[in-house]
Amino acid sequence: MIAGRGKQRIRPPRRGLASSAVDFDSIWSLLETAFRQIHTSNASQLLYEELYRHAYQVVLKKKGEELYSSVSRFEHEWLSEDVRSEIYAHYSPQMLPHTQALTTSTATERRMAGEKFLKGLKEAWSHHQVCMSMIADVCIYMDRTYCNDNRLPSIYTTAMNLFRDDILQSPITTNDNRPVLHLLNQVILDQIQMERDGDVIDKHLIKSCVYMLESLSESGDESKADRLYNVSFEVDYLETSRAFYSREADAVLRDTDAGTYCKHAGRRIYEEEDRCRSTLAESTMPKIQQVVEDELVRNKIVEVVDMDSGVWFMLDNDRFEELSLLYNLNARVDDRKSVVTRAVQQRIVALGDDINKAALAASQSAPAAPGDAAEKSKPSAQTNQQTAAAIKWVEDVLALKDKFDMVWKESFQQDNMMQTAMTRSFADFINSTNFPRTSEYISLFIDENMKKGIKGKTEAEIDTVLDKAIILLRYVQDKDLFERYYKKHLCRRLLMNKSISNEVEKQMISKMKIELGNNFTTKLEAMFKDMTISEELTASFKKHVEGLGDKDPRRIELGINVLTSMTWPLETMGSMDEGEGKQSAVFPVAVDRIKQGFEKFYNLKHSGRQLKWLANMGSADIKAVFPKVAQKDGSFKERRHELNVSTYAMIILILFNDVPTDQHLTFEEIHARTNIPKADLIRNLQSLAVAPKTRILIKEPMTKDVKPTDKFFFNEGFNGKFVKIKVGVVSSGNKVESDRERRETEKKNDNSRAFCVEAAIVRIMKQRKELAHSQLVMETLSQVAAQFKPEVSMIKKRIDSLIEREYLERIEGAKVDSYRYLA
Amino acid sequence: MADSNKEISEYVTLVSNDDFEFEVLRSAACISGTMRKAFDPASGFKETTQNRMKFENINGVILEKVCEYLYYNQKWADAKNVPDMEIPPELCLELLMTADFLNC
Repeated sequence: MIAGRGKQRIRPPRRGLASSAVDFDSIWSLLETAFRQIHTSNASQLLYEELYRHAYQVVLKKKGEELYSSVSRFEHEWLSEDVRSEIYAHYSPQMLPHTQALTTSTATERRMAGEKFLKGLKEAWSHHQVCMSMIADVCIYMDRTYCNDNRLPSIYTTAMNLFRDDILQSPITTNDNRPVLHLLNQVILDQIQMERDGDVIDKHLIKSCVYMLESLSESGDESKADRLYNVSFEVDYLETSRAFYSREADAVLRDTDAGTYCKHAGRRIYEEEDRCRSTLAESTMPKIQQVVEDELVRNKIVEVVDMDSGVWFMLDNDRFEELSLLYNLNARVDDRKSVVTRAVQQRIVALGDDINKAALAASQSAPAAPGDAAEKSKPSAQTNQQTAAAIKWVEDVLALKDKFDMVWKESFQQDNMMQTAMTRSFADFINSTNFPRTSEYISLFIDENMKKGIKGKTEAEIDTVLDKAIILLRYVQDKDLFERYYKKHLCRRLLMNKSISNEVEKQMISKMKIELGNNFTTKLEAMFKDMTISEELTASFKKHVEGLGDKDPRRIELGINVLTSMTWPLETMGSMDEGEGKQSAVFPVAVDRIKQGFEKFYNLKHSGRQLKWLANMGSADIKAVFPKVAQKDGSFKERRHELNVSTYAMIILILFNDVPTDQHLTFEEIHARTNIPKADLIRNLQSLAVAPKTRILIKEPMTKDVKPTDKFFFNEGFNGKFVKIKVGVVSSGNKVESDRERRETEKKNDNSRAFCVEAAIVRIMKQRKELAHSQLVMETLSQVAAQFKPEVSMIKKRIDSLIEREYLERIEGAKVDSYRYLA
Repeated sequence: MADSNKEISEYVTLVSNDDFEFEVLRSAACISGTMRKAFDPASGFKETTQNRMKFENINGVILEKVCEYLYYNQKWADAKNVPDMEIPPELCLELLMTADFLNC
């Protein structure tokens, strides 16, 4: 029999503590007086024990219901009579914005009036809360038993709801129909608007009104969804904000540039966040943000980005900060930042196209210049111009890349998606179909650097140059085309000893290996290997000849490069042209002897290999003696020169050894006696007889063109400034290809691509045995993607050809086009 | 005890209807829901200002037992295997009714 400890309650019998007869009316009148005192802040003389005891007794006597309704009625009357009139005392028509036109109130007066109203309402509310908590304390026994048993809201809640009904939702006066709540919303909104316009308002006051709205709900149950704040104020707030920002966005856009707009929008978003924290409810934050973002960003971002002062302007003028703002705004409404990304991409492509066009224009302006003076200088000038265009192109592209990397770092927070998009744009214009020379230009850029550019640079600088080239290479789709050009250029560099440093060459290749894989560089590496082997071969042949013992002072020294025909792009050097290469040139006897000597020597070492002599690629150092002939400047002596000439030129010059000074050889004669291919012959004769500084032969008639009937004399009067003279062959440097050449390169490239594609198809089919057409195309594309990007039509053609050659067959009756592999 | 002690005092005075006074710890008194409301500093009743509460319907014997219980409750609040409190059977019913009144 222990009472207490637990919460279980045992009702006492109806006698004892309370006197048996309870007169409700007298007790109620006592309580009512007390309540009135509480409401008028006069509670300090009231004894809680007494009030509680009375209320307790009433409830104990089953009069709970009566007490409950009496308290409710009392509160209702109190609120609607005393409190409402009090609120009305704080009301003044000045405080509402739309009445401003009628009265002459200033904004400050309006603000003051509004604040007064808010203050009155807030005080009434907090006073009501305090009083009700005291009254509820008195009636706590009723709450505990009667309200619990009958599932009624506690008297406190009921009184709060009464406040809602009798104050907030009833008209302000009998002849003014607007409910107080409506006025309250209007005033708060007006105050917020004032703050947006730069006024300082009483944030705490508003916040406490917001608390009030938050603690009251529409229907009386305490779910969050229909709090007065949410159903009434917040709706209005979002609506007016939307209208305001929509207007403001238009106005700001009209008056300022994109950068300012971004700053403004950023500030507004921040302000609204701050307002939710300090003035309104945090729960509104995502909603109002949504509104501001909608109006200031989502609806306007396209316009802002495309403005004259938009992304393009910012990019061109390095406005990193503004770009960053814009990027952040875009990021707010769109995870993928598609609008800004699109603009940046467009700008890259546009700038890239400009570079492409400039390069094309630069490379075409030279051939357009007519004139037949200085035949020799024109092609070289043209070569230079083309090469310069190529190098300029590469440098421009790199500069563009640097710029956008900078932008990416400074403004786009190194966003991955942005980087991918930018890379794609670079690849787009670099691989643009309007500009087919990318691979060639990049290779030329490397070539130029290998030959000249890296001279006098530190290792680190060289490294950056090479890395730049690799960066560009990364964008190139048709890697095989690049390989072809690079091989060609490398070949020239190696054979003509143009490369400054073998080390750097190797470094470049190892970089490419890392970037593009082993496959890509094997052939390039093989070329280097051939060069090393050839050096050893030359040395050992020299030793071999010395070992033979016949000390011939007139013996010719032979330096030789044995090149594996598969790895070296010999056809691009023009050696296999026109089938004429088969009938090799006739070498002078002395040269022919050593040539045969080497062949014998080589065959001893590697039997069964066939050597093909490529005279058009070789060079020779010859000593020439020019007899004593009167010079223009009057000197009269013998002159010795060491001439560095091409192999063909050497053959031609040696012919003249047997020709008396006054005799001549015609073109036809030379051709018949040397068997040099005509095209090469013409070029060599041009450099020997036409080029002003190396005019060792005299041509008759003296024109630029070499005709079959032209006669050639030995120029006894030749006088050079230096002992050593290099006779260049016309068009030997690496230069941009002519259109015809490029078409050929492309054709060759297409051929080799065809093989690649066929090989890929066969590999796939061998593995899969049967495959649908579309799948086959997809897999083939992915297999060769590392090297180049073939046209689908090309793959189709290759499939057809493979079917023709019975590697594959079509599967009859299959739903989709399918093929079967025929072993 | 001072009449108008605005400070929250440590002790409060409970008075029975036959004028026995009991000084108890405020924390112990507040175990009773009724007393907690009466001494709540947020409300402005006379009890709060005086830290003194008179019970018109509880005599000294019962109120003493109530005080004993309040301390007993406080002492053993979180303990297990608590020894039973001694309740004289003749006070049982009255104590029960008082407990309901005091909400403890």
